Amino acid sequence: MKKLFVFGNEYLENDKYAHEVINHLENVEITKCRSPEDLLEEEGSILILDVVKSLEEPVLIEDLSVLKDRKMVSLHDFDLNFFLKLLKEIGLEKDIKIIGIPEKGNPKATAEIIKKWI
Amino acid sequence: MKTITLNHITKIEGHAKLDLGIKEGVVEKCELSATEGSRYFEGLVIGRKYFEAHEITSRICGICSTAHVTAALMAIEDAVGVKPSTQTVELRKLIMLGERIRSHATHLYFLALPDYLGYESALAMAKKYKNELKTALSLVKAGNKVITLIAARDLHPVSATVGGWLKLPEQETLETLKETLKEVKEDAWKTFKLFSSLNYPEFESKCEYFSLKDNDEYAMLNGVFSSETESFNKNDYKKFISEYHESRSTANFVVKDGKRYMVGALPRLNNNREKLSVDAKKALKESKMKLPSKNPYLNNLAQAIELIHCLDHAIKICSELKIKEEKIPEIKVKPGRGVAAIEVPRGTLWHEYEVDEKGIIKYANIITPTAQNLLNMQEDIRLMVPGILDKPKQEIILEMEKLIRSYDPCFSCSAHFLEVNWL
Repeated sequence: MKKLFVFGNEYLENDKYAHEVINHLENVEITKCRSPEDLLEEEGSILILDVVKSLEEPVLIEDLSVLKDRKMVSLHDFDLNFFLKLLKEIGLEKDIKIIGIPEKGNPKATAEIIKKWI
Repeated sequence: MKTITLNHITKIEGHAKLDLGIKEGVVEKCELSATEGSRYFEGLVIGRKYFEAHEITSRICGICSTAHVTAALMAIEDAVGVKPSTQTVELRKLIMLGERIRSHATHLYFLALPDYLGYESALAMAKKYKNELKTALSLVKAGNKVITLIAARDLHPVSATVGGWLKLPEQETLETLKETLKEVKEDAWKTFKLFSSLNYPEFESKCEYFSLKDNDEYAMLNGVFSSETESFNKNDYKKFISEYHESRSTANFVVKDGKRYMVGALPRLNNNREKLSVDAKKALKESKMKLPSKNPYLNNLAQAIELIHCLDHAIKICSELKIKEEKIPEIKVKPGRGVAAIEVPRGTLWHEYEVDEKGIIKYANIITPTAQNLLNMQEDIRLMVPGILDKPKQEIILEMEKLIRSYDPCFSCSAHFLEVNWL
């Protein structure tokens, strides 16, 4: 069964949508991640579902270079972007894809759209 | 007057700001302040039940949530009169060791190492230093695993509670962890070799250093708060340690008898070096570090030595502890005051609570390691800067940041870290 790593804070209005969408997905092994470090346990390919700010339609991100870097001030800023790029740079992960979804929408309809990428 | 404002001291936990004023080579103003928003955690626990303090204060910091959980539990137990079993204490030590392995590995490789190798960030050095970063990640992973398997979650652990554990690990879990920890022991050695090969600046902080000192082991959860010349019991901390507020800073400054002091891995090593594991003692000898030391830059090397010790100690617990079923003791709440002083990755952490006859928290005081180091960092910069004023501005900033980072500060926790203003 395909694995899907879900990010986002279930308690934040603009960050919880991925958690609503997964309720409408079947035959997928869902892992709710609280920190990018959760991916350290994984070997091989990684498929992530996360909310992307300012997005209007779901997209499949296969090229991590399109992700915006932000200034790293502290360990508290080690975000998913930093962690994925680090894993890629040091060759620990071969294949990382991110299904980006908007902040809000119809969870069932969004689930239908993203099924083709899972 | 030449002025410097460092508005964001980078690669540290949280945010801080430094205002420097220099006239004819003399530092006339040097003010380090925490600039994160006030956190109000001490106020948040007032009015809550005694068994909620550890869950709430855990949120002070994701990096050292296990530390806050453990300190809160111990202080509350002290207040309500609960004595945890030996098994409970050993399992607490195990998660604290897991957290220290994770925290030291993360700080050393992702924040401190780029300074010494001349890179902007860990990501920038990733191509050339793949193996080093893999070493870091394997240590982080092992530390996380310890906390997850014992306390149910790697961040904000949930199974530790007042008096014991909501769920005890299986004996096999300890076996699994023992093997995991043995596997990364080589990584701890590699880390030590790497950090003992770096060139640390010569510098001596004009301070006292303090840590817990325990006659039985390399201090973690017990002991007296000690320097080279004096010591005092945790319950008397307010007689010796005082906090004061500067309006420019959201974190309090902490002094001991009115003077600055340092806490952290280096003070711990100074005070407890005789209690290091056999291999950590070997590393210390190999490092040629002269103890006691007051060179804050060597805090990084001390952390690398502690990595070896922490792995050895954790392996020992996993090997010797025989898990037996234990019920959490029935707690008959009585009014009281409790204090916990424990050694966490960045130094000594203090939690104090007062609880009434209904178990409601009436008073809370939390003093983090970074708050205790804040004045020391500021005065170290004041001492160090005149010697590097001939360097370009960016180099001066880097040197100041390097010094501050050697303390491994966490300004989120200090209920707050760096911006530099060249005034």
